[in-house]
Amino acid sequence: MKKLYILGAMLCGLSACKPNIEPKAPERGDADFSRYLAVGSSHTAGIMDRALYREGQGNSYPYMLAQQFRTVGGGDFKQPWVSGNHGWPVGKFMLDHVQGRCDTLPYLAVVPFRGALDTTGTYLNIYSTGPFGNMGIPETKVTDYLTTGFALSNKFANRMFDKPTTARPVDELLNTEHTFFTVWLGVEDVLNYAAAGGETAPSATNRNLITAPGAFHTAYDSVMSTVTRNGAKGTILTIPDVLQMPYFRAIPAKGMELDMRDANRLNLKYNSTQVHFDVGMNYFVIEDATAPNGYRQLREGELVRMDVPQDSIRCAGWGWEVPMPGTWVLTADEIQLIRGAVNSYNNTVLLMGKNYNIPVSDVRYYLQTVFENGAQYNGANYTAELIKGGFFSLDGRHFTGRGNALVANSIIHTINEHYGSSIPLVDVNNFSGVKLP
Amino acid sequence: MKKRFLLIGSLLCSSMAFGQAYQLNMQGMRQLAMGGSGAAIPWDASAIFYNPGALSAMENPQVYASMNAIMPRTRYISAPTGTAMLDAKEQTFTPYNVYFATPVGYKTRFTAGFGIYTPFGTGISWDDNWTGRYLVQEMRLNTTFFQPTLAFQVTDEISVGAGFVYGIGNFEYRNAMPLLDVNGNEASRELTGRATGVGFNLGLHVKPTENVHFGITYRSQVNMKIRRGYARFSDIPGTVSSSYLNTGFESTLPMPQVLTAGFGWDINEWVTLQLEANYTGWGAYDSLRFDFQNNTDLLQDEASARRYRNSITLRAGTKINFRNERWSVMLGTAYIPSPVREGYLNPELPDAVHFLATGGLSWKLSKRISVIGALEYRFYEVRTGLSTEHGFKGKYHTKWLNPGLALTYDFN
Repeated sequence: MKKLYILGAMLCGLSACKPNIEPKAPERGDADFSRYLAVGSSHTAGIMDRALYREGQGNSYPYMLAQQFRTVGGGDFKQPWVSGNHGWPVGKFMLDHVQGRCDTLPYLAVVPFRGALDTTGTYLNIYSTGPFGNMGIPETKVTDYLTTGFALSNKFANRMFDKPTTARPVDELLNTEHTFFTVWLGVEDVLNYAAAGGETAPSATNRNLITAPGAFHTAYDSVMSTVTRNGAKGTILTIPDVLQMPYFRAIPAKGMELDMRDANRLNLKYNSTQVHFDVGMNYFVIEDATAPNGYRQLREGELVRMDVPQDSIRCAGWGWEVPMPGTWVLTADEIQLIRGAVNSYNNTVLLMGKNYNIPVSDVRYYLQTVFENGAQYNGANYTAELIKGGFFSLDGRHFTGRGNALVANSIIHTINEHYGSSIPLVDVNNFSGVKLP
Repeated sequence: MKKRFLLIGSLLCSSMAFGQAYQLNMQGMRQLAMGGSGAAIPWDASAIFYNPGALSAMENPQVYASMNAIMPRTRYISAPTGTAMLDAKEQTFTPYNVYFATPVGYKTRFTAGFGIYTPFGTGISWDDNWTGRYLVQEMRLNTTFFQPTLAFQVTDEISVGAGFVYGIGNFEYRNAMPLLDVNGNEASRELTGRATGVGFNLGLHVKPTENVHFGITYRSQVNMKIRRGYARFSDIPGTVSSSYLNTGFESTLPMPQVLTAGFGWDINEWVTLQLEANYTGWGAYDSLRFDFQNNTDLLQDEASARRYRNSITLRAGTKINFRNERWSVMLGTAYIPSPVREGYLNPELPDAVHFLATGGLSWKLSKRISVIGALEYRFYEVRTGLSTEHGFKGKYHTKWLNPGLALTYDFN
């Protein structure tokens, strides 16, 4: 027996039994990936679970792309790292068991990190460690790129800009002398409005206003002419249908469950209005100034924000005893505005791709497939469902590391196709996902 | 000491290896050396497996024992634009065979035999953190069949034989699960179970002239049933732990039926030729099922499609005698298609079309003792394929070296 073993081992020593296939070396094709610049907003910066934290930054799609670009001559890629993993400027969301005022049992809920935040030094300017390849500036709209001194009102930009007080964001895009870029702008131009439930009062300069298509076009064009200035190549990303994100899907419009006693009592209370309750699931009652009596029930297709206070629904009777404030829902009119804006922005993005001869990574299309069918990667299934789905982080709007990796792969597909490169795909399942307690 | 323990361990675990899918085809050393062909010509007591009908040719009682040391080496490369490369852990598997056959009395038409052999098995072990970990980290299957056999000489030319098969086996499957706890640790599970099954092995041997042999054999499908498997979950996050409690499971693993037609020709007193075709009923392996005892909202019964297709294997071998049959040299080859369809290529068993090159040497040490050594080498095609169900694509290459040794003792 032992002799057999030795005999076999000797024969194997002759490499007769070692497979000898080798992976193909990645090729860079027609593009130069040596200095990569990522232009964008929250998704680009690596916001995750509503906050900026180190792990989120390490799981951002630009950081992943930069790693993959290294296989085809990509160089250093600097990120404006924050110091810790608790979240900045707000605590990151986590899953934990909570007990509401009206609940007998604790339940699993999304809660902010409760300890001290990563504020030590985070507000200081760190351009001396830059210039940064990841120029994702959370909370920026395209139009912000033309605002002089924008960094004075944006703490993220204030951290990473060379001349925070005098520069326009678009001026800061040339610091790295990049050779390749990605641009993902326009999400906040409409998502701010949507995530605020369509409420823009009181001021006309409110950041929740939907950016006007003309202003969008002008600012986007300015960014494009800047990033392509030195002959750099890259890809630009379309804007997804933000309304299908779990932030607007976690709580259904018809999400108020009532027993017979409550249903009968409420029907008496709302007698001779159009509000009507049945036993089982019911549409929430919302404030609507245009409706008779100033309130009505939600309709099919209208949406509820996932961060509507659960305690208010259960204890204060929001949505059934009393109308739910309009800021927590998106009505059909608001939805129409949002959809219209997304379409118009995407037309601009497509036009820019054409004008500047830059390929468009259709992230809108890719995310649509995720919204409809989910995504699969090496035995793991990802869907847009909150928590269980694994694609979106706990804020319901930004992705998990794995969601970012899937998006990064769809971008790599576009790059490979257009530039004739063969950049390897990201190993999705090695990145962060939803963490269950 | 540790090494010895490992050796004993691998002996106990016996026959694990992937070959023609999970069929091994090394139940006799002479046959292995001749490309795996052996239905037509009775060489020794291993006819209990290869053709129970041919067992009638045994002139005196014989004990036969053999063992192999299979060293499969498999490499994975991520596809289509992958740079990730991983070699499966190097393992050695040791299938073995023990046969005893004897004529029942003097000048009788009956021959009886008993065989213990390991006809099916597979095993592969990837790194626990590899990219395909949600599909499989490690899989092992081994079987041992026990076969009492009786052969009957109908006429001088025709003999028939039949054996009853009782099989035992072990199954083990480990994979990670896409569930992360607060520290980012992944959950995993391990399914283990013992399996048993019954079947039969029939053979017809025809020898129309002194130097021509025909053999037809049929080995039935053996459904290896796991009745009390055990599913163990590790590192499950607390919030969902009640959905993943350790539980029992049932499963059935089909060991396919094989119909064989063989032809043997003693061209002259030195050279013998064998040709053989096997039809293997791989279609029986439709899916890998786990029926869990306690289903929960998250733990449902599973059926993962395999959809193997039936296959035909062609084998050829020759034996050349020297010095009054004290020495003989054997050579052989075989063409073995893969029962694994496009779209069903899984890293648990990344089978591919392959050719065999085999050779061996037998030495009649004395009147009673013979020693046979054989070496099998498999040329696998490089195969790129997808597991549609898991969205897992890869390029695989396997190399396979398999030395073996047999000893026969004749009571004459």
